[in-house]
Amino acid sequence: MKWLMAKGMVMTIDCVYSQVEGNIISDMDGEKVMFSIVNGKYYNLGEVGGAIWDLLQEPNSINGMVSQLQEEYDVDEKTCEMQVMEFIAMLHKEGLIKQN
Amino acid sequence: MKIWQKPTLEVLKVH
Repeated sequence: MKWLMAKGMVMTIDCVYSQVEGNIISDMDGEKVMFSIVNGKYYNLGEVGGAIWDLLQEPNSINGMVSQLQEEYDVDEKTCEMQVMEFIAMLHKEGLIKQN
Repeated sequence: MKIWQKPTLEVLKVH
């Protein structure tokens, strides 16, 4: 599966991403809320989004994240893969993660 | 196993 991103970039399951520095994170009732000191925006990542964010502390591939999430969540591979890629594209568009 | 929910990125309203 390939995911077309902004500026003509293409995402595949082998692409590796990691967090960009400069975000203040708070856990609120299991959901992650984040303030970006770079763009001044507040975000709610939710519970699953927060789990994905944690997996991006170190450089991680889409494929790797899907495998790790499937160990923890009841979700089939295709659904997980598609929704993780969509979420990663949003994080990347907001400048919260970088491609390694 | 935890229940999967589609991950979303919500921009919060700030005043």
